[in-house]
Amino acid sequence: MKKLLSAIFGMACTTCALAQETPTSPLEFSGSVDTYYKYDFAKRPNIPTSFVSDHNSVSLGMLDLVLKKKTGKASFVGEISFGPRGQSQSIPDAAANGSSFHIQNLYVNYDFSDKFAMTAGYMGTFIGYEVISPVGNFNYSTSYLFTNGPFQNAGIKATYKFSDKVSLMAGLFNDWNLYSATRGVSSVGGQLMISPVEGWTAYINALTGADPYGYGTIVDLTTSYQITKAFKLGLNAANYDMADDAGGYAGVALYPQVAVADAVTLGLRGEYFKNKDVGATPGTAYTGLTLTANIKSGGLTFIPEVRLDHNGDKPFLNKTGGAAPNAGQFSLAAVYAF
Amino acid sequence: MKYSLILLFSILLSSAFAQQKQFTVDERGKYVHYEVVETKVGKDSLVSRAERFIKSNKKSFTKSTKTDSSVTSNGKMIIDKTILVASHPSGEVNYVFNFEAREGKYRYWITDLEYIPYNRNRYGNYVATTNIATPLEKAPGKLSAGTWKDILESVYSKATSLGENFKKTLATVQVENQPKKAQSISTKKW
Repeated sequence: MKKLLSAIFGMACTTCALAQETPTSPLEFSGSVDTYYKYDFAKRPNIPTSFVSDHNSVSLGMLDLVLKKKTGKASFVGEISFGPRGQSQSIPDAAANGSSFHIQNLYVNYDFSDKFAMTAGYMGTFIGYEVISPVGNFNYSTSYLFTNGPFQNAGIKATYKFSDKVSLMAGLFNDWNLYSATRGVSSVGGQLMISPVEGWTAYINALTGADPYGYGTIVDLTTSYQITKAFKLGLNAANYDMADDAGGYAGVALYPQVAVADAVTLGLRGEYFKNKDVGATPGTAYTGLTLTANIKSGGLTFIPEVRLDHNGDKPFLNKTGGAAPNAGQFSLAAVYAF
Repeated sequence: MKYSLILLFSILLSSAFAQQKQFTVDERGKYVHYEVVETKVGKDSLVSRAERFIKSNKKSFTKSTKTDSSVTSNGKMIIDKTILVASHPSGEVNYVFNFEAREGKYRYWITDLEYIPYNRNRYGNYVATTNIATPLEKAPGKLSAGTWKDILESVYSKATSLGENFKKTLATVQVENQPKKAQSISTKKW
């Protein structure tokens, strides 16, 4: 026992000694607050994607708080959110009746060198174009690809940066969107980042293993290219196959954006999304068109948005509550980042 | 009453001077932080020390070019946004650092300042999400004027600090860093 304690004490002393030699960054603190008004043309919640759910209501998004600290080669990020977008509408906290908070990121990172780093904890997913935080999205409403894909992954990953133009990540993860695994560390994932030319970055992602529905494999391409000073084009394409022909989805979304003034950018999201057949039950396909403006003033961004969705199988509702092939909504959001 | 007026006048004067802390422009209309320094250090030593400064700040400087009397390097400074006592990176400013030496004096200037904003990514880290840089001289629209003013003040402060550190390095005799011998205590003699 004495030997064990001596060993632990020795290791702690060594760690302290090493820590004293490495530079320490100040504690970083940032976050965001968002709120919105939405009017659904059918006068009821209708479009089944994530967030922006309330009709004819000035409603809350979330308060998001982020802490980061780096000491030498080690760092941590802790991000926590409160409010509907970060509580009842988030997947882990919805399971807990949405009564507490949602951890967005909680991980530690160690840079073994300028090229190689390892990260462990609960992280925003590496799959897909859109994210939970409204600060990270251009559109305020979310795509079908986002809603159906993973939100977060807990696990351990290693990233090797070959150059500024190429890096590779590989990791082991729990099942999607869970703080702790229900089926063990059951997923394997990877990401290849390439940046062929300045301003163009592409991520090719794959994740296979346990998910909330069973087991499956998702392959995803997320890319954006700042083609000119005013014009940016983003693309997200994904295919998800569940094991035993239990369904899945495939889709593609295009995100052209044009800056029309220093503080004003207009953007379109055009999406095609299809749920795959499950046995004899045929899948169903959605198309969505979202026109969004971002008007920035300091830390505040106003986001007016009009969205029109279509599905020939009539999954939407009209004003009288009948089945309808089309749905539409207008929303105005205010997002403040600090 | 008289002392109150003097105090008020002093505050106004100091704030007026504070407002004057801004970049001057060169003949191209570009912001520049420019200084000529008289020195007794020889030209070759000045160039050598300038090189040492660039090398010792290799995280801030990228590619450099050197002649027998000048050093030019591309640099990057991170701009922070402060909230009470904590802060986070809000962007980076790329610039060109120029140095020229003659016998008895040298000059340095920081110019071609361009700002790239950072955004928080999905992992909570602040990163550049665009490669489009905006020259600091470009007047922003009304909506961004306040933010731009803060950025300009921060860049001015960092450029001044960079210049002060540079001058200190050029005034310091270069000493090779030698590993310090670990102190040992003899337990045989006591």
